[in-house]
Amino acid sequence: MSDQTVTRTNDEQQSNSLTDQQPTSHTVDAETDEQLVDSWTDYEFEGEAAITVEDLDVYYGDDHAIDSISMEIPEQSVTALIGPSGCGKSTYLRCLNRMNDRIDSARVDGTVEIDGENIYEGDTDLVELRKKVGMVFQSPNPFPKSIRENVSYGPRKHGDVNVGLLGKLLGGDDSEAERRLVERSLKQAALWDEVSDRLEDNALGLSGGQQQRLCIARCLAVDPDVILMDEPASALDPVATAKIEDLIEQLAEEYTVVVVTHNMQQAARISDQTAVFLTGGQLVEYDDTDKIFENPESDRVEDYVTGKFG
Amino acid sequence: MFDRVALGIVGTAIVTFLLGWTTLFDRTSPDTAVAGLSLFALFGVAFLLAGAGLIAAGIASNVGLFKTTADQYTGLGTGVAFGVVGFATGGLVTTILFGVGATGSALAGLVVALIVTLGIAVLPEDIGTTLPVGLLALVWGVLLAAGFVDVGWVWDPPSLAATFHAPIVVPLVTIALSLLVAWSGAIVAEGFGSQGRQNGAYLMIGLNAFGMIAVLLLLILFVVRKGLPTLLEGAQFGPGLSISVPFLTKGVMLGQQYNGIFPAIVGTVWLVVGAVVLAIPMGIGAAVFLTEYAEQGRFTAVIETATNALWSTPSIVYGLFGYAFLVPRFGNRNSLLAGMMVLGFMLLPLVVITSREAIKSVPDEYRDASAALGVNQWQTIRSVVLPAAMPGVVTGVILGVGRIAGETAPILLVTSGAPFPARAPSILGSFRFTATPPFVQNEALLQASSALPYQLYAVITAGVGQEEAFGWGTALVLLLVVLGFYAIGIASRIYFRRKLHQ
Ligand SMILES: Nc1ncnc2c1ncn2[C@@H]1O[C@H](COP(=O)(O)OP(=O)(O)OP(=O)(O)O)[C@@H](O)[C@H]1O
Ligand SMILES: [Mg+2]
Repeated sequence: MSDQTVTRTNDEQQSNSLTDQQPTSHTVDAETDEQLVDSWTDYEFEGEAAITVEDLDVYYGDDHAIDSISMEIPEQSVTALIGPSGCGKSTYLRCLNRMNDRIDSARVDGTVEIDGENIYEGDTDLVELRKKVGMVFQSPNPFPKSIRENVSYGPRKHGDVNVGLLGKLLGGDDSEAERRLVERSLKQAALWDEVSDRLEDNALGLSGGQQQRLCIARCLAVDPDVILMDEPASALDPVATAKIEDLIEQLAEEYTVVVVTHNMQQAARISDQTAVFLTGGQLVEYDDTDKIFENPESDRVEDYVTGKFG
Repeated sequence: MFDRVALGIVGTAIVTFLLGWTTLFDRTSPDTAVAGLSLFALFGVAFLLAGAGLIAAGIASNVGLFKTTADQYTGLGTGVAFGVVGFATGGLVTTILFGVGATGSALAGLVVALIVTLGIAVLPEDIGTTLPVGLLALVWGVLLAAGFVDVGWVWDPPSLAATFHAPIVVPLVTIALSLLVAWSGAIVAEGFGSQGRQNGAYLMIGLNAFGMIAVLLLLILFVVRKGLPTLLEGAQFGPGLSISVPFLTKGVMLGQQYNGIFPAIVGTVWLVVGAVVLAIPMGIGAAVFLTEYAEQGRFTAVIETATNALWSTPSIVYGLFGYAFLVPRFGNRNSLLAGMMVLGFMLLPLVVITSREAIKSVPDEYRDASAALGVNQWQTIRSVVLPAAMPGVVTGVILGVGRIAGETAPILLVTSGAPFPARAPSILGSFRFTATPPFVQNEALLQASSALPYQLYAVITAGVGQEEAFGWGTALVLLLVVLGFYAIGIASRIYFRRKLHQ
């Protein structure tokens, strides 16, 4: 807390200088931010942290994409990640379920603790991790399979429901369990009413917004604790976007949701806390969403959220 | 008026184009006479009219009688095209007139080509695209109409070993000139300019495509006509549903009224089935490994080049490999199994190549989505990547089957026994299970067998005991068998597509 007071004083000084019509130099700005950066680990919230990130660095070859980020993400809430294009939001998000492992050139340093375990420790089971931390992508990417098969894909592959010939042969046909699972997940994703009568149709026949909610249902079907979403509504029209936003707010009652977005209003509407990344892969400010949008500490953040910079 | 002339020219050219083809393939006789004119003379009249029309249209546009959108210059592209025509014509004319050798006529041709190219390139477009074609058409029209070139005309250039007879030369030149005239007419029809050029190109491409398809159809028709009588020899339809086609159901035996090719059909079908069964799992497996698991780099690049090279390796080389390597290991005699393996190896590279392409074209989003659900790589490949790649894989197999079904050389080396056997190999009936390794035996697989292309080859080379008609019948059946495999392939591709999109 004391750190924050110090920085606030710094900031006030700076706003004073602004009112004095003195040109702001970037060095001053960066210095302020440097001090700010140290303090964001101390963002205090009620309840437990679902994810604790400490000193996270990501490199693509020699390219330093994430610069020493520390951050605690509270459970059962919506955390928005905002920032200009190329500042590393997607990269950061992919660190949380180790999807960066799939990129050959990516190297990750630091710790990410989920349920008290560092997921970057040697013996982490990726299957278990990704069952716990689900992900929804920017463009809807349902499989070219039926709606039902899309939703039950994860549990089926994990052997949680056995359907089909082998299931029948082994005497454990879970068709009924699969049906219930599909219904529950689709209802959670607010898609059930629209598709309940055509579960066997190909998912590619759905509209973009429906496809995205199907992807959310598919992710919910494996029963995750955390849901990561990378610009989940950027490919959708305003109506579909509104549906996804409602959905995200509902999901936060049960799940920890981390969502990347380019849309300030969206972040302001749906999130409980907001983390602002600026170029260079730095976390510049992390606080309650209201605070970030109404009274941010850093001038760069203020410029960014008011649209002066970006 | 302008439009009608242009359309008349294009119509005339299309008619002569078609008649040229039919004459070339003996569908219309050069002796056919219409209104007292022989076919060639009719061609001549048609070209005279079309040529005159083209020149008239060009000049009319140039002097401003009709408003057109002609460009200022014809351009180098058209110039070069006509240069090529000029090269051929110049060379020919000098050979005919002065009897100079190949070098001389080539030089003369080059000079003509250069002059024509440059000359036409700088002409205004409406003249440059009509006048040369019109002149060529007029010359050819005069030659034909006035009877300088008639059915009995023969050109026997001393510098060449070949002799050219009118029934071949006239249709060929007519076809080529018709294309030119139609092209020019199409440009005129749209009043030159970019619209005109587009129309001309469209017509040329359309006629060419049509020509290709026509040639293919002719080929098939030809085989059908020659082969059908043999195929149906002794065939009985009825009473009721009973159908007997001895050519398809019998072998070759002494004292049999109608001989047939049943053993060869069975042989070919088993060869193809065996090769496909062998190549598909291996090929897809290799493709999956190379695209999904192996690190992309020099290793995969080398393998890729090697697979491409293998696919273009001549079949006789595969045959030799089988002969030297497989035959000694399968009881030192030709066998169906050796043939299956050799054909399977031939098919393998294509399956690998097309499967790789198909797997690569499966969007990465699917893989990401699956991985993000915690599904491991192998399960992702099996349940998402391969189903999505399947239509592409099947396409590759279809193409490959077409090649191996008609393959003669490897069969000659590793499978063939008697070309006209009496009985077909009975593969399914010969499986024996034993208590000792290798546990399964199949005598029939280790026996020599005939196959359709091999039988065809035997008829052509030796004519052993069978006359030509037998060969045509065989060819027709081979065609049908390959088409049958295509049908199966296309049906399964449709099935896999359906599964992805419905
Ligand atoms: N697969 C990759 N290989 C190499 N460099 C990458 C890769 N992905 C991202 N980068 C680099 O890392 C930096 C951060 O990229 P990232 O995609 O995380 O940005 P972002 O904040 O999500 O941007 P956007 O808002 O445009 O999605 C960029 O400079 C980018 O060029
Ligand atoms: Mg991004």
